[in-house]
Amino acid sequence: MTTLWDTTGSEVVKALAAERRAAGAVTSGLALTLVAVVEEQNVEDAEEAAAVAAAMHPCRLLLVVRRQLRAPSRLDAEVQVGGRLGPGEAVVMRMFGRLSLHAESVVLPLLAPDAPVITWWHSHPPYRISHDPLGVLAGRRVSDCSRADDPVAALANRADDYAPGDTDLAWTRITGWRGLLAAAFDSASGRVRRGRVAAEPGSASAELLAGWLSQRLGISVPVSESKGPGITDVRVDLEGGSYIWLERGDGHNATVHRDGMPDRSLPLSRRELGELLAEELHRLDADEIYGEALAKATGKRALNRREPDRTHKWLDPEDAKTAAKEPALFASEPANKPRRKAASRARQQS
Amino acid sequence: MSKRSAVVEPGQNPLRDPADRRLPRVPDPCALVVFGVTGDLSRKKLLPAVYDLANRGLLPPGFVLLGFARREWGDDDFAELAKKSAQEYARTPWREEVWQRIGESARFVPGSFDDDDAFDNLASTLRSLQDSHGIAGNAAFYLSIPPAAFPVVLKQLERTSIADNEACGGWRRVVVEKPFGHDLASSRELNGLVDHVFTPQDVFRIDHYLGKETVQNLLALRFANTLFEPVWNGHYVDSVQITMAEDGGIGGRAAFYDAAGAGRDVLQNHLLQLLALTAMEEPVAFSAEALRTEKLKALRAISLPDDLERFAVRGQYTEGWLAGQRVKGYRQEDSVPDRSTTETYVAIRLGVETRRWAGVPFYLRTGKRLPRRVTEIAVCFKKAPHLPFAKTDTEELGQNQLVIRVQPDEGVTLRFGSKVPGTYMEVRDVLMDFLYGEAFTESSPEAYERLLLDVLLGDKTLFPNNEGVEAGWMVVDPLEEYWAGRKPHSYRAGEWGPAAADQMLAIEGRVWRRP
Repeated sequence: MTTLWDTTGSEVVKALAAERRAAGAVTSGLALTLVAVVEEQNVEDAEEAAAVAAAMHPCRLLLVVRRQLRAPSRLDAEVQVGGRLGPGEAVVMRMFGRLSLHAESVVLPLLAPDAPVITWWHSHPPYRISHDPLGVLAGRRVSDCSRADDPVAALANRADDYAPGDTDLAWTRITGWRGLLAAAFDSASGRVRRGRVAAEPGSASAELLAGWLSQRLGISVPVSESKGPGITDVRVDLEGGSYIWLERGDGHNATVHRDGMPDRSLPLSRRELGELLAEELHRLDADEIYGEALAKATGKRALNRREPDRTHKWLDPEDAKTAAKEPALFASEPANKPRRKAASRARQQS
Repeated sequence: MSKRSAVVEPGQNPLRDPADRRLPRVPDPCALVVFGVTGDLSRKKLLPAVYDLANRGLLPPGFVLLGFARREWGDDDFAELAKKSAQEYARTPWREEVWQRIGESARFVPGSFDDDDAFDNLASTLRSLQDSHGIAGNAAFYLSIPPAAFPVVLKQLERTSIADNEACGGWRRVVVEKPFGHDLASSRELNGLVDHVFTPQDVFRIDHYLGKETVQNLLALRFANTLFEPVWNGHYVDSVQITMAEDGGIGGRAAFYDAAGAGRDVLQNHLLQLLALTAMEEPVAFSAEALRTEKLKALRAISLPDDLERFAVRGQYTEGWLAGQRVKGYRQEDSVPDRSTTETYVAIRLGVETRRWAGVPFYLRTGKRLPRRVTEIAVCFKKAPHLPFAKTDTEELGQNQLVIRVQPDEGVTLRFGSKVPGTYMEVRDVLMDFLYGEAFTESSPEAYERLLLDVLLGDKTLFPNNEGVEAGWMVVDPLEEYWAGRKPHSYRAGEWGPAAADQMLAIEGRVWRRP
């Protein structure tokens, strides 16, 4: 491990090359670069998740922490090959001051040559991704609405800002539910009559699940509130009184109720962040099904027909006018605003 | 009710979409019936694979594991054995709640294969599961049993008509392990019987090599890239070497092995299948039917050498040192006859008589007690027709090679010449390595897991059919006929086969690659 204080991007590139030579991994089969944008207080959580994901998809991990916009510009970096951050190469960078607005100047030379780039915002994605160069340079962008103060509003914002190649971990969290539902539908028949989803209040995952069902089944699926945790109940009724009803009260095991069949209990655990991230790294093309579900959940149209590429738009958060208009422009530590509890609470909704 | 609402029908599920690649392919509710459930294969591979599939969420909500063996056991004893095997050999992390679900619905039917009552019991157990577990008559039968027991079991299945799709109202599939017979005639007989009891499309012959990711990757390498296919022919390829080496001995399989030998045990199936995948033309689609058509063409184009004495070498290992340990010779192994002439090593030169491969020798070898366990396909290219360098500059330059490593360290190696740094010109071979596990570690399920899932899904892409098996016997039968009554060469345990095998290549100015 190499630790560099108050350094430059070129020094980091050199340190990485030296670490690679020392580890003997000169011709390693790097398949992608994962850029993780993280707040200082979440670094540990993000490192743990990224290490799990990197173990499944060997990648170059670039972890960017943006700090104290008003401090003098400074770059601290820690370079590792095969260590606590998984089997691949990892660079943790802390950027202070105005440098954090130009993070791409450090990140660009560190990207693995000609390999896909995925950018993941651990908690606070920019209001508009085009304002963050780290999002613009990525082919796939991963956000996590469930960690927002108001997950449902955050989801609507993601739909406004959507471009093919965006996904959200609130969507990843419901893959298990979707798999069970699809499997149940394999052996069902009849016209769909109605459906419903119940979840703890403010669940972006539940909105997406309802959106997906509405889109696929051609009906309108409402979301009702329950005690949680996460999604607790999904039911679809078919013509002629048959139904498919999944229930999960404890966040671990689901029970499948079907007419004319015995109840069946299946494990349906809420997955760790690392596993969710690994699922995202699995596919590097746009997820159209997510685009459709998001459109339906937020009442938008034709999200998948948008341009996949964004152009970077310069916005200075120090400029009083933009600061008022664009909340949380960057995932940097808010200078004066006291953090609200909900924002830092690591919520695991699904 | 909305008029636009979707209609769900069998085969038409509005929640499924080919673009939705997050959703796994999950089989219909079904039962997996394992015969010979206490055997090695079942404990080390099959039961752990069931757990791994469940853990990855790839088993249907209604899934029943049903064991059949000659033990005085109840359901719980069986569930206990299955749990132990899964805990010991599973590849995915242990989660009690996942197991609980399999354990709860595990069933055991005791009995021997000639016991009519036991099979009647099995049939009625399956019928009752239809209602209690909603498996709708779907069941796969895994025959993890000695070949001699096949006819008895198949006849029992026929008598109780539990192999009959229509009578059960679902699908009934059967999984057969190699060896598929011991020669062409017996294989035809066995195939006839299995196809008669089940319907031919419901018979899955498992060759676990074909379930390996690298073998499937060979198809991707050849047919998804532009780089390799243009040189994949006799104009550029000098020879192909396919090796399947094992460091282990025959273990507890003496009786079976002494009757079969390496030719029937490995050459007839694994090696010829790998050859077929290497030599075949591009299939019109990545489907079971198209792949098998092309593989069959390749297998049928195989020609044997005229001089079998020189180009079909058999070997038998003698006492020696392997990996720092003294090991017995083959004839000293337990329950192997002192004067056994069974081969534990085969090396053979085959031709593939097509326009693409005319004149290119395919060297195949397999053996027990070789220095290390390795399976690989090496495509050796011709030397450059002209070298503009001085002769001394390229003394160390060999042939370009593309090596597909099937196991271990699955991956691809490319060997080519490069200048040695320095003031004078010297070209030497270097290796460029692609390690499969390094670029994608997640998606390498164990071969059994993959193949088992394919059986439950009814996907036959990775399974050889009986024509393929029979084509394999057509290659091996004349060899076995020639070898009968002749003694194999001997080689010391821990070396790369008998000297005659090296000689075989030396005659044509080639050498074996050291894998």
